[in-house]
Amino acid sequence: MHWQIKWVQKYAYQLVEQHDWMRPLRGDWLARLDDVVTDLNGPVYLVAHSLGCIHVAAWASISKQAHKVKAALLVAPGDVEAQPLKDVFSSWRPICLQPLPFKSILLSSQNDPHCTIERAQFFAKSWGSDWINMGSKGHLNADSLLGDWPEGHNFLNQLMKVDEHGH
Amino acid sequence: MAKIFCVANQKGGVGKTTSAVNLAAGLAKVGQRVLLVDLDPQGNATMGSGVDKRQLELSVYDVLLESASIQEAAIFSEKCGYHVLGANRELAGAEVELVDLERRDQRLKLALEVVQQEFDFVLIDCPPSLSMLTLNGLCAAHGVIVPMQCEYFALEGLTDLVNTIKQVHANLNPDLKIIGLLRVMFDPRITLQQQVSEQLKSHFGDKVFNTVIPRNVRLAEAPSYGLPGVVFDPSAKGSQAFVEFAKELVQRIPTL
Repeated sequence: MHWQIKWVQKYAYQLVEQHDWMRPLRGDWLARLDDVVTDLNGPVYLVAHSLGCIHVAAWASISKQAHKVKAALLVAPGDVEAQPLKDVFSSWRPICLQPLPFKSILLSSQNDPHCTIERAQFFAKSWGSDWINMGSKGHLNADSLLGDWPEGHNFLNQLMKVDEHGH
Repeated sequence: MAKIFCVANQKGGVGKTTSAVNLAAGLAKVGQRVLLVDLDPQGNATMGSGVDKRQLELSVYDVLLESASIQEAAIFSEKCGYHVLGANRELAGAEVELVDLERRDQRLKLALEVVQQEFDFVLIDCPPSLSMLTLNGLCAAHGVIVPMQCEYFALEGLTDLVNTIKQVHANLNPDLKIIGLLRVMFDPRITLQQQVSEQLKSHFGDKVFNTVIPRNVRLAEAPSYGLPGVVFDPSAKGSQAFVEFAKELVQRIPTL
């Protein structure tokens, strides 16, 4: 099971349900995330994985709701401008590279088949994220056998604590 | 130069999409070159024109975001005889993405200007809500065709639409006007429908189209086959009525 699902179950986080996980349409996903954040009161923390990181960057660049987001944990961005994802997710190009209007940490793996370590570092720099190399853990997904991934959750805690202390 | 009409009504479930696809098919049948623009993220007009919304490489979404032209994104539906600028759920994103962009309500208008000579009619199937998508449709159009059922509450939806059209006419598109009201799903056996129909005629005069579209099972069945009734069963009364309506519209053009 993916660590995001485990976090939803363990910490009662909200999952942003998309209409079609197998065929992600950029516009559809943007509208859906915007609807979810619009309906939320209080500070919002986003936890994104793979295409979700590209999604958050695109959404944050256009949404009137982005001010509600305090911070984002971005894990193993899916590089839709390079193979093997390039042909599958054509509507997601070009990747939005604007600095995020909120604090963020980007975690990446040095043997991720969907994003080279150099590209992950480039995304982190573009988005203004703190970049952490997690070692050789594939795409940091269910296949990486991370369990409920406490190591990853520590970074989310870190973002929430930084926010609590106001710096 | 193409005549551009929105098929709109702010009341849902009145047969907008059925009217749009069947009018498109009817116009094609009488020799007109037609482009049908689906502005509803549900993509029903797309599917109802024999185009699979799940297989769209490019759609009206790409046109609104100016990442594709209409020539690139429109598909000719062989079965139906008209071009379709399709939509799917992706289009919902345009509502969010257009908010801060320049000329956000003029995107469709500008894109259509390029293909004006290639079509006789452009029909725009609008979503029922007054959204940035509907606004793009109303800004691009010369007029609005309003399908409506002859029922009591139908008149309330009409009031909302007339107010919207007045505002768009005053602020954004001085060309915009109501082309006409199309009575759909009409059942002459129901007294109330006859009464409302008479009310419409006395209040709106020649703005009410002469053609009446009868309630017809074959029109209702056709979308499940991915076709307009006019193509699915040309002999059905509803289909014949839409072809008659297409002829009436063509005849009215010089007077508009």
